Amino acid sequence: MKPDLSIDLAGIKMKNPVMNASGPFGCGWEYAQFIDLSKLGAIVVKSITLKEQRGNPPPRMCETASGILNSIGLQNKGVDRFVQEDLPYLRNYNVPIIVNVAGGTIDEYVAVCDRLNHVHGISGIELNISCPNVKKGGAIFGSSSRSASKVVTEVRRVTNLPLIVKLTPNVTDIVKIARSVEIAGADGVSLINTLLGMCIDVETFRPELASIIGGLSGPAIKPIAIRMVWQVAQAIDIPIIGMGGIASVKDAIEFFLAGATAIAIGTANLINPQITIEIIRGLEKFLEEKGFEAIWEIVGKVKID
Amino acid sequence: MFQVKAHVLLKEQIAPGIYTLRFFCREIASRAKPGQFIHVKCGENRNFILRRPFSIHRILGPDTFEILFKVVGKGTSCLAQLHPHEILDIIGPMGNGFTIDDGLKSTILVAGGMGIAPLVSLIEEIDLQRIRLYILQGAATRERLLYFMYLKRIARKIFLATEDGSIGHKGLVTDLLHVAIKECKPDCIYACGPEEMLKEVAEISSEFEIPAQVSMERRMGCGIGACLSCVCETRDGYKRVCVDGPVFDATEIVW
Ligand SMILES: Cc1cc2nc3c(=O)[nH]c(=O)nc-3n(C[C@H](O)[C@H](O)[C@H](O)COP(=O)(O)OP(=O)(O)OC[C@H]3O[C@@H](n4cnc5c(N)ncnc54)[C@H](O)[C@@H]3O)c2cc1C
Ligand SMILES: Cc1cc2nc3c(=O)[nH]c(=O)nc-3n(C[C@H](O)[C@H](O)[C@H](O)COP(=O)(O)O)c2cc1C
Ligand code: FES
Repeated sequence: MKPDLSIDLAGIKMKNPVMNASGPFGCGWEYAQFIDLSKLGAIVVKSITLKEQRGNPPPRMCETASGILNSIGLQNKGVDRFVQEDLPYLRNYNVPIIVNVAGGTIDEYVAVCDRLNHVHGISGIELNISCPNVKKGGAIFGSSSRSASKVVTEVRRVTNLPLIVKLTPNVTDIVKIARSVEIAGADGVSLINTLLGMCIDVETFRPELASIIGGLSGPAIKPIAIRMVWQVAQAIDIPIIGMGGIASVKDAIEFFLAGATAIAIGTANLINPQITIEIIRGLEKFLEEKGFEAIWEIVGKVKID
Repeated sequence: MFQVKAHVLLKEQIAPGIYTLRFFCREIASRAKPGQFIHVKCGENRNFILRRPFSIHRILGPDTFEILFKVVGKGTSCLAQLHPHEILDIIGPMGNGFTIDDGLKSTILVAGGMGIAPLVSLIEEIDLQRIRLYILQGAATRERLLYFMYLKRIARKIFLATEDGSIGHKGLVTDLLHVAIKECKPDCIYACGPEEMLKEVAEISSEFEIPAQVSMERRMGCGIGACLSCVCETRDGYKRVCVDGPVFDATEIVW
């Protein structure tokens, strides 16, 4: 028998626990040239804000050892155009759509979530309180338990959709923040977003990114992400979507063992647009070979004496 | 667009640190247009993870095409060590490519340094269509004027510039553009090279009210339009060089 990959993530029924991480995947349709999007566990769209945003000036990306640094800065067309132009297309796929929501103020988060309440075809919200690439709001909300809890409480009031809160690793104690968003009503947490970083071009003496500081992602950050998923998993009861540097089946399995119920793949899509599907297949094979019947059997099963 | 494991047929060094790589790959060769590019995984190396973009340099037939590259860093060093029969993971053809308008009679191509790479496939197309072709080629030194003999043969006239003055005009290739436009009366200008050069081309062509197509370069992530890392500023806001370009109308770019 084929192992059962299906999961129930905070009320979202998924045929497998593999999704894309918000951002590098856009709204998914560019990847439809390479993969069958309906095979994914869920599609997570790039951060949406209330109004259209231009994003940061270029250069917006540079490469580092085993990773990349980006400062895209939430460029998006705003919630109304997302609903009109992108959502109808995404709805054609038989796959849960999770909308990643960002904002500069609590009112903005609330307004976007309220707007999404009235549209058909959305399975959940991922609240991005952790984007390092915007001056106002963004990571600020995610960097203290008080503000994180406040934004989650306010959003919880206006939405009945499953609410997943995406946490930033740029804090001293991520466990504390995870606990506070759980108490404030979150149905799940995603971790981690990118780590703040900086690169300097030694020829020109200038920062490589126009925004000076950017967010580090890719294989370089995986051990940090695993550590955080493991710590948070000990402390909360809501499910975790683990992400940060996943580029192979083995990487994905590490996240499940650390305590993630689902995983998301960001940067690796840039290198291999078929990576999500390859990891789904690889997970199935791994479970089969090891004699497990379902994915949940390995969740949190790291052996610690 | 296709993600393909393509066979390397041939690697040739054509100048110090400059190589051509020939691929056997029907999916891409049979569809590629001048000005498009491929996104290459240059090797399994955790020190650099992103793909690298290279222009379609020559289309040799329905199964084969070439890229032309200069060794500047990690990825291109890996490519320089490839051997025939090795296999590379490539994606393409990507981007919009140059447009050749119907009724085009005369054109100037401006190539700066490695900017010659995409222009060679364009030249072959222009030659097929019997459009009058003039070339302005610039490089640091005489040795870096790639394909100079071939270009000289195929163009009605070639204008040369080298930074060290070892051949042709001593200085920048754009120094020659005023004179060339007056002499050749082009309907359209195509340019590829450093951004400073493209900017000059844009200014001069707009002075003469001649349309110009420029091929832009940006650091790329996905190369397929999803990640928004390769944007450049245009009159309609940020556009993605990988899918909205790399070829833009020169008047569109905010320099
Ligand atoms: C659409 C497009 C088409 C291209 N076509 C060609 C081509 O036909 N032939 C060719 O030789 N090159 C081409 N390039 C440039 C080529 O992609 C870079 O030279 C290559 O990515 C360098 O990789 P590397 O790992 O060797 O260098 P790295 O180790 O990444 O960097 C080494 C040095 O090169 C500089 N560099 C790296 N990437 C770029 C870039 N994209 N633009 C400018 N400077 C860069 C870095 O700043 C650094 O100083 C093209 C670029 C684009 C965007
Ligand atoms: C180019 C790029 C853009 C991103 N954009 C967003 C975004 O809009 N919203 C968000 O919540 N996270 C964004 N992220 C963060 C990713 O979703 C993910 O949390 C992080 O990159 C770690 O995973 P990875 O190493 O697999 O990429 C972005 C990451 C990258 C590389
Ligand atoms: S490189 Fe990703 S959008 Fe252009």
